[in-house]
Amino acid sequence: MSDWTLCIDFGTAFSKAAVAPAGAWSRFDPATIRPLMLSTEGQNAFLLDSAVFVDEDRVLFGRAALNEADAQADSKRAALRSFKTLLSVSDLDRALNTNAPLTIDPHRVFQMRDLIVLYLAYLLASVDRAIAADAALAQGARFSRRYAAPAWRSGDSAGMHDVIVRLFGEAEAFRAAIGKRILSPDGLSLRTISDALPKATEQAEALEMGLIYEATAAAAYTSVGLDGAGSHMIVVDMGAGTTDIAALARLGPRTIELPEARVTLKQAGDFIDRIIANRVLETAKWAKRDAERSELWSVLMSQMADIKEAIMADGRATLRNQGRSITLALKDVEKDVDFRDFQKSLREAYDHALAVVRDDARARGRSEVQAIAVGGGAATPFIQDLIRRKMESTRPRVIPRPATPDWAHAREFRGNLAPVFPQLAIAIGGALAPDSMLAVRSGFSRPANDRSGTQAELD
Amino acid sequence: MSAGKKKTKGPKVAARKRAAQGVSLTDALAEAAWSEADIALAQALADFDEIETAQKKGARKDAFERLGQALSRASRKRGLSRLGDLDDEVEFDAEAHDLNAAVAKTPKSVRIQARGVTRGGEVLIKPRVTPADKKRS
Repeated sequence: MSDWTLCIDFGTAFSKAAVAPAGAWSRFDPATIRPLMLSTEGQNAFLLDSAVFVDEDRVLFGRAALNEADAQADSKRAALRSFKTLLSVSDLDRALNTNAPLTIDPHRVFQMRDLIVLYLAYLLASVDRAIAADAALAQGARFSRRYAAPAWRSGDSAGMHDVIVRLFGEAEAFRAAIGKRILSPDGLSLRTISDALPKATEQAEALEMGLIYEATAAAAYTSVGLDGAGSHMIVVDMGAGTTDIAALARLGPRTIELPEARVTLKQAGDFIDRIIANRVLETAKWAKRDAERSELWSVLMSQMADIKEAIMADGRATLRNQGRSITLALKDVEKDVDFRDFQKSLREAYDHALAVVRDDARARGRSEVQAIAVGGGAATPFIQDLIRRKMESTRPRVIPRPATPDWAHAREFRGNLAPVFPQLAIAIGGALAPDSMLAVRSGFSRPANDRSGTQAELD
Repeated sequence: MSAGKKKTKGPKVAARKRAAQGVSLTDALAEAAWSEADIALAQALADFDEIETAQKKGARKDAFERLGQALSRASRKRGLSRLGDLDDEVEFDAEAHDLNAAVAKTPKSVRIQARGVTRGGEVLIKPRVTPADKKRS
C-alpha cells in the first residue's frame, strides 16, 4: 500500500509532477497537495524544460539543452522538444524507431526512442531529487505512480500505454545505471550513453504506472472536495496545437470517457497567434519591406503570450516596435474570417459533445453537467462564453466551473498557488484522482472508453 | 567562506542550494508566482517613466495605455480580479463599497468610480463609489 500518489505530466514545453496523499480524494485537504520542485534553474522551480540537446560530445537536458540550442541556432542545430506530440502519433512504434533528424542529432547515432528514454531518465531523476528535498516526502515514503496524457486519438489506449510504460522502464533502468550524473548541468558524454543505454534497454522491465487522461485530471481537481460533485462533465482544452473537447461520466466507482463526444479541432492557441500577428501586420502600414515585416513578425511572436493575454483579458493590447505604438483590439481579431470560422466550428463541436453528455446524464437520471475550460486558452472570453451559455432546456443543468478551483486560493498557500495553478493543474489533478478515474491502472491495461461490464442503468 | 567559493555563487548555484536545503513549498510557490508578475511590474515602472518624460500628447497616451496593460498583467499573474464595472450605477452598500465623497446623507444609488479588486473569494479593495446624482470624478 503506498502512502502517496505521484502524477507526472510531461507537457509540450515543460514537465511537471505533483504528489497527494493516498486517499486524498475522499479526505481532501488542500494543504497536503505537494507540487514537486523539479527544476533548480530559473525562478519557477516547478517547471522542468522538456528538452534534449545532442552536442558535439555530450547530451544536455532541460534548461542547459535549451541554452546550448540557442547558442548554436545559427548552425541549424535544435533541441528535441514536443515529446508529447511524438507520443500521441497513431503509429508510435514507427515514430520511435525513426532516426532523429540531423538538426537534432548531427552524429546520426540516436533514434527518437533513445532520446525520449534519455529525457525520461532525466525527468525521473529530477522527480527523485525533488522528493529527497521535500521534508514531508523524503522519509522513506512509498509512491504509486501515474502519468497524464491526452486521450490517444487512435483509440488504442491500452496499446499506447504499454509502449509508454516500457519507455519509462528503460528510462528507469538507465537512470539506475547512471545515478545522479544525469542531473549535471554538463549532461552526459556520448560515450557514457553508448556504454550504458543498450544494456539498460535490454534489462529493462515496464514501469508500474497508471494512465490518467488530462480531461479526467481536470475533472478531478475541479470536483475534489465538492459536496455532490456532478457525475458528468464536459471539458474544453485549448492548448497550443489543438482544441480538444471531451466528456466524462462517473458510473458507480468508475469514470469513463464518452468517446462519441470527443472532438479535436486543429485550430488552437498557435492558430490565434497567427491571426493576431497577421492583423498587426495589416495595421502596420509603415512596415512595407520584407525585412521590416519579418522583423515585426519576430517581435510579435516573441511577445505573443503577453499580447494575446492582454487582447483576450482587457479587450486590447498595445505594443511598441521601433518607437511606434501599435494597438490591436479584440474586435479586430473577431472580424477575421478564419477566426470566425474557428469560433463556429468550436461552437458546433461543443454543442455536439454537450448533447452527448447531457443525453447520458438524462438517461441515468442525473440533473447536472459540469463544464470546465482548461489549458492555455481556458481564460479566453469566447471559451468562457461557451461554457457559460444558457441552455434552452433546463435539465440537466450545465454548471460552469472556474479554471482555477476555489480550493487553490486556500489560506495555507498565501495566495501563491492560484497564480501558478494553471501550469500545474494536470499534475495536481492526476495525483488527486482516485484509481477508479484512471484510464489504465498500473498492473493491468484497460482503456478508459472500454465500457464492457458497465450496466446502462440509473446510478 | 573563501573568496574562490564566493566567485561561483550565481543564481544557478543559489537555486541548486535552495533545492538541496529543502526550501519550503510555500516559498517556492511564492517565488514562482511572483516571477512573471515581477517582469510585468518592472515594465510598468519603465512605462511610468515614459509618461513623465513624454514630449507629445500622443506618446503620453500610448505610454499610459502600456502602463495599464502592464499593471493588468501583473495583477493577473498574482491571481487578482476586478470587481464591478466602471460607471455602473448600483445600490449603495456600506459593507461592499468605499464611498469616495463627503455626504450629509447616505446615498441610495452610487456610481462605480474605481473597480474593486479580489483574489479568490477575498475582497482586497472595495469598489470606490460616488453618489450617482452628483457624478463627481
